[in-house]
Amino acid sequence: MKTAVYWGCVIPNAQFAYESSVREVLPRLGVEIVDLDGVSCCGLPVMSVNMNAFLYLATRNLAIAEKTGLKDLLVLCSGCHLSFTEAMHYLRQDEKLRERIDSLLRDEGLEYKGSIRLWYITDLLYNVVKKDAVQKSIKKPLKGLRLASHYGCHIIRPSSIGRIDDPENPRKLDELIQWLGARSEVYPEKLDCCGALLLWSHHDAAFTFAGLKLKAIQELGLDGLVVTCPACHMMFDERQKAVASTIGSKLELPVLYYTQLLGIAMGIEEEKLGLHLNRSPVDKLLEKIG
Amino acid sequence: MTIIDLMTTNEPDSKLRLKVLEKIGEHKPYNCFQCIRCTSGCPSMKMLELKPHEIVNLVKLGFVEDVVNSGIIWTCAMCLKCKERCPQEVAPVDLILALRNLAVEMEAKVPEGHLKNVSMILETGFILTPREAITRKLEKFSRDKLGLPKLPKPSEKFKTTFLKALETF
Repeated sequence: MKTAVYWGCVIPNAQFAYESSVREVLPRLGVEIVDLDGVSCCGLPVMSVNMNAFLYLATRNLAIAEKTGLKDLLVLCSGCHLSFTEAMHYLRQDEKLRERIDSLLRDEGLEYKGSIRLWYITDLLYNVVKKDAVQKSIKKPLKGLRLASHYGCHIIRPSSIGRIDDPENPRKLDELIQWLGARSEVYPEKLDCCGALLLWSHHDAAFTFAGLKLKAIQELGLDGLVVTCPACHMMFDERQKAVASTIGSKLELPVLYYTQLLGIAMGIEEEKLGLHLNRSPVDKLLEKIG
Repeated sequence: MTIIDLMTTNEPDSKLRLKVLEKIGEHKPYNCFQCIRCTSGCPSMKMLELKPHEIVNLVKLGFVEDVVNSGIIWTCAMCLKCKERCPQEVAPVDLILALRNLAVEMEAKVPEGHLKNVSMILETGFILTPREAITRKLEKFSRDKLGLPKLPKPSEKFKTTFLKALETF
């Protein structure tokens, strides 16, 4: 499969480990990714300020992706994926809105057709690459690991516009973890939000969201938390120490991207997967895997 | 000031109510029968006392300006559980976003972080600028050093079009 890839704001500017690990694992599974030129923010960060500007930004990036002639677009951030899905939904429903956005796009000589198909890392691996190919790529099964999964609110809700998994009982990421030989445990806080979008208005509350979830997982004695959204990962991994001091707890939970976990199972060197860049104590987890 | 107090002190404003309703398309607060499923699952209710069902009710009653100015609309984390779970397809989160848009339009107080997103996108196309990653051993790594490709840059024309898009509400 050959697909265009959209990285968003957070990954290419601040979450290099995700980008590195995606670039390492996907080609080994027969997925060729094509970077896009001239893209910008997906629009979600300005939804609260101006819906029109959000829809313009989202559609603009979709139009740039369509210009490549590719039929598929891999969107690696759950917020960006929501933004694009919503824009496609609203423009399909509302002719007037579509005309308004089209005229903005013409300024740059762009045209939106609404023809591209969106993928997220989870459904791409689950539905396109599939279990057999993933398991064939494994050199080091992750036996004995007990992990927690975190989906990201925006990739499972709202189901009315089409998301990648069940909104109340998502299973795909858990199965992807199990394909590698590890266990994915059910825990009561599984659907809890990371709080990232509250950073723009209520910093401490945002950190408390993340902290309470991390604390709950840690208290279950699990080996780590597996994430696919860069904004969630930033909250749980990069900011884990700050989050811990906000809630007044000691947090030492390894947090990593699914693509990093997959890469470990594939036997790829740790640095190539950006594992030296995780700020949470992933060494504990790596030692256990051996 | 809690939202309940606002109802006892102010007059409803049907024009502003219409303005909000025009922004939210298919999801109508009129369908809400106050079952409170939205609020019972709202993570911001636990932390910041956001009660989505009250916001829906206040818009229904026409107390729009009070909600726009109350600051409570900025406590939503956009987890979308309320939109998913509403049996009447009201989508309180969409209403909250519409109220936030209205707050910007009416020049009410808007949290700095949201406005900064706009200025960052105008400046660079993104809400963040590339920074060096710091490892657990406190070494610094840039994209270059990690062998990652150069970042995309939107054209100059993009800025003027984005500004144009911001003029319409």
